[in-house]
Amino acid sequence: MEAVLNDFVQVLRRHRLRVSPAESIDALRALERVGLGEREVVRDTLRATLIKNLDDIEAFDKLFDLFFSLRPEPERRTAKLELPGHDHDHGPPPARMEFAEDAAGEAPESEEHSHEDRESTEFRRFFDDERMRPSRDFHGEPDRMRLSMFSQELILNRKPGALNQAMQRITHQLRLRRARNIFNPGDLVPHSEGQDLPLDVSAADLGELIDHLHELDVDEDLIRQLEAQSDDILRSLPQLIEQMVKRQKELDSEKDDSELRRRSLQKMLDFSPSEQREMEAAIRRIARQIHGAKTRRLKQDRTGHISVPHTLRHNIRYEGIPFHPVLRRHHEKRPRVAMLCDVSLSTRNLSRFWLHLVYQMQSLFSKVRTFVFVAEMAEVTQLFEENTMNGAVEEIFSGRVLDADVNSDFGRAAGQFVGEHLSSINHRTTVVILGDGRNNGKPPNAEALEEISRHARQVIWITPEPRWGWALGGCDMPLYEQVCSRVEVVRTVDQLAGIAEELVRNRV
Amino acid sequence: MFENIDEVRERLAGQSYVCDRGLATVVYLATRLEKPVLVEGPAGVGKTELAKALAGATGRDLIRLQCYEGLDEAKALYEWEYGKQLLYTQVLREKIGEVLGPTKGLREAAETLRDQEDIFFSENFLVERPILKAIRSETPPVLLLDEIDRADEEFEAFLLEFLSDYQVSIPEIGTVVAEHPPVVILTSNRTRELSEALKRRCLHLQIDYPSPEVELEIVRLKAPGIGEKLAEELVDMIQSIRTLDLRKSPSIGETLDWAQSLVVLNAPNLSKELIEETLSVIVKYDRDAEKVLAYIKGTPERKDVGQREPTGEKPEEAMYEMHRSPHKHTH
Repeated sequence: MEAVLNDFVQVLRRHRLRVSPAESIDALRALERVGLGEREVVRDTLRATLIKNLDDIEAFDKLFDLFFSLRPEPERRTAKLELPGHDHDHGPPPARMEFAEDAAGEAPESEEHSHEDRESTEFRRFFDDERMRPSRDFHGEPDRMRLSMFSQELILNRKPGALNQAMQRITHQLRLRRARNIFNPGDLVPHSEGQDLPLDVSAADLGELIDHLHELDVDEDLIRQLEAQSDDILRSLPQLIEQMVKRQKELDSEKDDSELRRRSLQKMLDFSPSEQREMEAAIRRIARQIHGAKTRRLKQDRTGHISVPHTLRHNIRYEGIPFHPVLRRHHEKRPRVAMLCDVSLSTRNLSRFWLHLVYQMQSLFSKVRTFVFVAEMAEVTQLFEENTMNGAVEEIFSGRVLDADVNSDFGRAAGQFVGEHLSSINHRTTVVILGDGRNNGKPPNAEALEEISRHARQVIWITPEPRWGWALGGCDMPLYEQVCSRVEVVRTVDQLAGIAEELVRNRV
Repeated sequence: MFENIDEVRERLAGQSYVCDRGLATVVYLATRLEKPVLVEGPAGVGKTELAKALAGATGRDLIRLQCYEGLDEAKALYEWEYGKQLLYTQVLREKIGEVLGPTKGLREAAETLRDQEDIFFSENFLVERPILKAIRSETPPVLLLDEIDRADEEFEAFLLEFLSDYQVSIPEIGTVVAEHPPVVILTSNRTRELSEALKRRCLHLQIDYPSPEVELEIVRLKAPGIGEKLAEELVDMIQSIRTLDLRKSPSIGETLDWAQSLVVLNAPNLSKELIEETLSVIVKYDRDAEKVLAYIKGTPERKDVGQREPTGEKPEEAMYEMHRSPHKHTH
């Protein structure tokens, strides 16, 4: 059971769900309590102990279905028994197949693993009792056979331990082969069909399976008995193995995909969950530093009101005579931030990044207002509050909020902001503008920005363009820079974190 | 406490708390593994109610700590009773003289005093706040930390010791360990993300709006006067309203309010007029109400209804938005 759980946690981690060792230990303890009797209970148990983020639940469910999917659907079993291309010859009686030695060489590594994984099949067996709903992840093959069906039949009442071992070996062989043939670290290209496992499971392969049974000193009677009982099961074994391979591929290929996506989209600045977390951590740091975290706790200070309990406490050493009055006062720690974000075409990739940033800001600060602009300005604060991150970003780019496909014109947008939204900023507000400062030849309207900066505590401009690029084309950054309190070049999450650090030092 | 998962369900049902098996599993595990449960979900799906029902089902006391911004350990854990300490020092001043009277020399006096000194930082002078109360309770209670997401991050960090080991360290006294670990339930409306460290220490439970069957059962249970047909219509209607893109979908609480008001109105079935008249019970925003009405009438909703961001044409509205804290609208 430990081994299976461990495998499962590994799969989760490979799919970028964060599971700590403590959590997997919890899961194990929990499973010991609830037992493995019911699939849904096990699912709920694992979900409660391993998955702590709502966003991860969907992925977890999918992986759970996939990972614990080696189960037949009973009434379909008979329908599938007569399989084209695999007739009775493929299930020879074990007594005739006595060449165990060459097969043993096939899986030397499985020896050392088998004790760890002993319970694995037993574990899976427990999922057999309930109907598995057809998983949509396998493409258009709802009535597939599953390997545990084999195990279920094999284990029939007697000597489950020994047979588990046999099953274990089979599983291991498959895994080993997969490891040799498919797994290719660092290779991001999704594997083409040609690289797959050899799927033509022949009579020889079946023979190997039977040999393993012999190898394990399972008594002959049992094998014969099993053989009689599960003759047809053995016959459909090629399908089962195929299923198994497919399932493994499914579990693996997604990982390859996500890796691929992560790399290629890093440039596109679309975010994987881990990057979102990274970003969130960075923003949390910023949150603490743009005038601290949001708190209104009283702090001791030289000014403020006398705090009776603290004064008494402090002065007990003077027999309660208040020599040292303790004063406390509220610190203004809530950042007030107004975000102006350029969503025009020229910065489309980066504005996706920014909107994510802004979304995170908004979830951390209570007083963040967000505006987007291209040629006009629109407020999206509420949109962000009510939608998921990706939903909100999609909504903005859909053009329903404002026309996102015209040329950006910060000058005009700033003018509009001064006209309509100036009341929303005051001397405590930090205005953060995200944009490249390219007005496409239209008037820069630096006066409007100046007006904004007069009303705000400070104006921080974050631009994706390095300074040397400002001289090129119609960029008005040099003009705007004079008005802003500071200008930062941010292109990656790392740089954002860097700015967070800097904000501490400079006590913005 | 509970023998198996089904028993959890039955006993919760005995407290008029209807739940699915997933929830029962997590509750069962929490009591078995002695781990806190973090319950997340939209407002009004019965997160707080779960703690109450659990306390009722197990016959334990419910200790509740409502979290809010600025909550600190003095209000959550313990506080020294300064006044009492002060009073005692004054009253005992002469007694101290007596105690020290027969001693010879300063050294002996100091030793005698040292033997006595801990009376002023004893548990007598400690005001128990909910968490300490839960730890020191003779019978293990159910501790509800309600809306933990509203407390500051520092408070979360402060909770970590308690959540993992059911103990707190009080500098003057030492570590207080719970003899009987309480059942701890934390609820969150997700107005912000909780820290990883906190989540790691808890079992996680997501409660969502219930399925029609469960909701129907809840309505029957909690609004006994309601007719069978009306109850079904009502649950159908609520379920379909939830599919609309509303700012605040009606919660179970609102379903029950609605059911009860329909019972009071003695309505035989759910007519369009009746829905219109009583809509304010389930929908709390004008724009939502518009949408629901449009939906009921079967007319396509006005296109601009979907656009909800303040336009800035009304400066008051803009100001309002600015100063509204993000969690207000969850109610």
